[in-house]
Amino acid sequence: MKRRTTVFFTLLLALALTGAVYAGGGGEATETETTAGGMSNLEKSLAVDTTGLKSEDGQPLIILQEKQREVPARPSDPDALPEDDPLHWWDIEFAGWNANKTNIPESPNDGAIGKRIVFIVHGDHPWTTACTLGAQKIADAYDMEFKPLSPNWDLAVQNQMIDQAINEQPDMILLIPLDAKTAPQQARKINQAGIPLILFNTLPSAAAMDYCITWTGPDDFGQFRMLSRVWADEMKRVHGTADVGVAYIQHAPGGSPYFARCWGPISELSGYASWVETLDKQAPMFEADKSMQLVSDWLTRFGDDLKGICAADDSAQALGIFEALEKAGRDDVVVIAAGNSKVGMDLVKEGKLFAITYQTAEGDGALAVQTAADWFNGKDIPPVKYLPKHIITKKDVEEFYPPQW
Amino acid sequence: MEQTKLAAVDSRLLSHSIVNRVFVTIGVYLIAIVLVVLGIVLQLAGAINNFLTAQNMLNIIDAVSMLGIVAVGMAFVTYSGHYADLSVPTTMAMTGIVAVEMLKFGFVVAVLSALAVGFVVGLINAIAVGKFRANPIIWTLAVNYMSLGVIRLVWVNKQIYPDMTASTVRASEMFDAIFRLRFFDKIALPVVMMIILVIVLQFVMRRTKFGVQLKMTGAARTPARFSGINVELMIAIAFIICALTATVGGLAVTSLNKVGAWYNGEGYEFKAVTAVVIGGVTLAGGRGSIIGVLGGVLVIGILNNILTLLGVGTFSQDMIRGAIFIIVVFVNARSLRKMGRDYE
Amino acid sequence: MNNQKRTRIGREKTLVFIDRNRIFLLFGVVFLFMAIFGPRFMTAYNLTTIMRTTAMNATAAIGFTMILIIAQLDLSIGTIITFAGVVGLGLKEYIGYGGSVPIAILAGCGIGLINGLLVTKAKISSFIVTLGMLTILQGAIYTITGGNSISLSSPDAFAVSDWLSTMMIPLITPRVIITLVLVAAFTVFLRFTRIGRNFYMVGGNRQTAWLAGINTDLYTIMTFVISGFTAAVGGVLFAMEGAAATLNLGDTSLMYVISAVIIGGTAMSGGKGGVLKSFFAILTLDVLYNGIILFGLGNEVKIFIAGIILAAVVLYEAYTRYKHDKIVGQRSELMKEVDQLKEKLRASRRKIAG
Repeated sequence: MKRRTTVFFTLLLALALTGAVYAGGGGEATETETTAGGMSNLEKSLAVDTTGLKSEDGQPLIILQEKQREVPARPSDPDALPEDDPLHWWDIEFAGWNANKTNIPESPNDGAIGKRIVFIVHGDHPWTTACTLGAQKIADAYDMEFKPLSPNWDLAVQNQMIDQAINEQPDMILLIPLDAKTAPQQARKINQAGIPLILFNTLPSAAAMDYCITWTGPDDFGQFRMLSRVWADEMKRVHGTADVGVAYIQHAPGGSPYFARCWGPISELSGYASWVETLDKQAPMFEADKSMQLVSDWLTRFGDDLKGICAADDSAQALGIFEALEKAGRDDVVVIAAGNSKVGMDLVKEGKLFAITYQTAEGDGALAVQTAADWFNGKDIPPVKYLPKHIITKKDVEEFYPPQW
Repeated sequence: MEQTKLAAVDSRLLSHSIVNRVFVTIGVYLIAIVLVVLGIVLQLAGAINNFLTAQNMLNIIDAVSMLGIVAVGMAFVTYSGHYADLSVPTTMAMTGIVAVEMLKFGFVVAVLSALAVGFVVGLINAIAVGKFRANPIIWTLAVNYMSLGVIRLVWVNKQIYPDMTASTVRASEMFDAIFRLRFFDKIALPVVMMIILVIVLQFVMRRTKFGVQLKMTGAARTPARFSGINVELMIAIAFIICALTATVGGLAVTSLNKVGAWYNGEGYEFKAVTAVVIGGVTLAGGRGSIIGVLGGVLVIGILNNILTLLGVGTFSQDMIRGAIFIIVVFVNARSLRKMGRDYE
Repeated sequence: MNNQKRTRIGREKTLVFIDRNRIFLLFGVVFLFMAIFGPRFMTAYNLTTIMRTTAMNATAAIGFTMILIIAQLDLSIGTIITFAGVVGLGLKEYIGYGGSVPIAILAGCGIGLINGLLVTKAKISSFIVTLGMLTILQGAIYTITGGNSISLSSPDAFAVSDWLSTMMIPLITPRVIITLVLVAAFTVFLRFTRIGRNFYMVGGNRQTAWLAGINTDLYTIMTFVISGFTAAVGGVLFAMEGAAATLNLGDTSLMYVISAVIIGGTAMSGGKGGVLKSFFAILTLDVLYNGIILFGLGNEVKIFIAGIILAAVVLYEAYTRYKHDKIVGQRSELMKEVDQLKEKLRASRRKIAG
């Protein structure tokens, strides 16, 4: 009796489900809200000036950069080069510059006012909260319908969000791929659905670049090359060039920051300051007590040879580093990190952290949306667009308060 | 899941050998000593250096102090036969962020409100698991989710900073000092807190009526109830103790990170259970001691230290730790069984 | 009097029916709500998305349901999912899918076998064994991949993944078919075969099952192997469809599957529950989350709702057991006799007084 009712029930539900689907029909396209007539939309949209907008730290939200980076020619086989040769990392560092754009939609050239965009980040974190805020500011300037989604670091959920976004047929999808390697499949799906796509923040693997209009975001490798030179100069000033060993605390394995913030400096210093020796690199993730334990153990292992530490994160990792250094009484170690959180800037202000990179969270989101608006306005979009680079030291850290996150 | 074991074990199969007896009582310290000896051997062999230095030993204790604080509280939950309290990470995060928020009324108010919040969470767990006998793992998991949702809804996915919310500079400094204060420049406050908690809670577990009654509750709940023990009250107190130690741990972690956020304390529940079980508190309940838990925490610390000094990567360390975890529990359980004392 | 009895029994029967099948009713309610209020929910594309999302966790939930039925725990399913995905994709370059997929699935079974042996022969609690195995596997995954996620670079890489996600019948893609087939097979197996029903006995009361002649150790080992098998199948299919495997692919699956299976009505105490119920529980949660994304709500809402539902289910079960325990052992005829005696006493007192 029990069995029969459950089976009957299930069949009933299944029938209802199928029936409802056919009743609901296929995928619907929805109208985009446009103002009266296409041309006036474009004119209005071109008239919008976002250069005056500021992020929470008082810095301009959009900084127009005329000169992008010098891109060297791609070696024929980067993998064959040694790991400390900068060109070994060409495919990761310069992904997008030699992309084979396929099936990219044409710009409708009818202005950005009222367009619907779906903004998918990678996970929940105060950084992404700030990033979404910056994007929202630009979207509001253009009166766009802005829908932010976050999969909280879960790939299955991000895929689901992409599917649902495709279902909604928006005017553009903006995406931070969770993982460089999974990005090509995600980008391809969106591309095949005919929806314009901009990837941003983390560099996907090169194949993904074929399917998007462009990639915007921080030039992680470039910033860290700049940072490492400043680092080497400071270490030379404090310690001279004898017996200088450094260690790297890495980002989450597999993503572009993992490579940029560790192998960027290593490959840069091998040319610029070859007297620096790499002692160790570890990935303790982002807990302060783990970094603390790691650095304490490094000090035990390497003793005075450890003269510099490069961290992929300037908040939790940096705090752990300094707890360990203070405990051991080693204030001579030169520490650099990727910024720029409040905690990191505080450490710079206190003179502990020597230098951090300026990586505007709000600017990241804002640049992506601004590029989308430019595309709607029919402007020419380069394949890669970088955020401005800057190294923050004690001299100018005050200018970046109040912090974005 | 109350099943009675089949009767009498053949006493000829029992083995009350010295090894088994010693292992069951202070087994975990045996492991710790073995590890230390291993470290010394490796140092003498030149594979690692500076293992047996005061600084290194101090580093080990520093590294595990927060885990120790949380683990000794979790031990009570396990001791009462309720496996684990999986709501510990969000309790840590929530009490931490509440403390930071309340710093605008001063340091004392902040700490007290954190303790109050921790107490409430412990109480919620206590009622559901103690009185209504909900499954502890699932219930505390649900509480974990709800607390996480609450934190993120109330603070709108942002993190808050103690030096920005504090009413006075002094208050903010005191909050920072929770993690950073050092006695004689060497011994950190969390370490002191851990040691005090270990001593106090060991006393509670062994020498108070509550502790003894809890042991009976954990070992055999229904007989305990029929002996007149207020079983629900015992379990309630165990969960509240766990939540309160999680609060103290949460304050330390939040102080370390200098930020009140929803992700503080992530991962502590499984780490604490590992330490508790390695320390000899069996999952079935009613067996073990807080001193053992301290030993478990130390074992984890020494193991991590040796592996890092050897240059083993973080993830290979995970593998080794997982394997050792299973082996330790196996040997422990086997010794108990051989002595006929495993009433599982 | 007879009429009263009939309606009372009728009402009780309805209550029992609702209680037993609550997950199906819950699914109906949630689905209806989303269909009415969710923008663009009732499109074929969206519903297919839901089915495709459930595929991975639903497969793993099959094995996990069986684990709970025999009153054990398997905390390692999340890492088995990831492991299978990584192995399945990583070896594809060398021996093609025809080789790597069976190896991945066998690996999952092997891990399940180790878990099962440690639980039965070494007599270590399953909580401990699978917790340790989880840690070991996580380290292993990172060590063998060197921290890099895996993606396919060959041009035919997308061919298989496209095939897996094409809609054959409305709403059903090949990957979903595999999931549904497995769900159906295991439902039938557990409910309608003798061996299947023995699992319930092993979970209900292990000693009695053993005394009844069931080889409880063998059943336990089988269950862990099945759990490893289903987790591996779910993981490798997911990786194949995405043409990539990240190193934390299965991380969230553990808590999700535990919640879903419990909500579906399988209890941790063992001896009850079912695979079909777990499947519908996962469907319900996925419809709910799909709706949350449709409405554009944030993750905090999703997490909070997940917690509330789980708490409600757990409390509900605990409360029913609590009420049940209170009256356990009470004999209603004896209680009636006591009432009659009390009535007689009161009547005689009244006679004396009046």
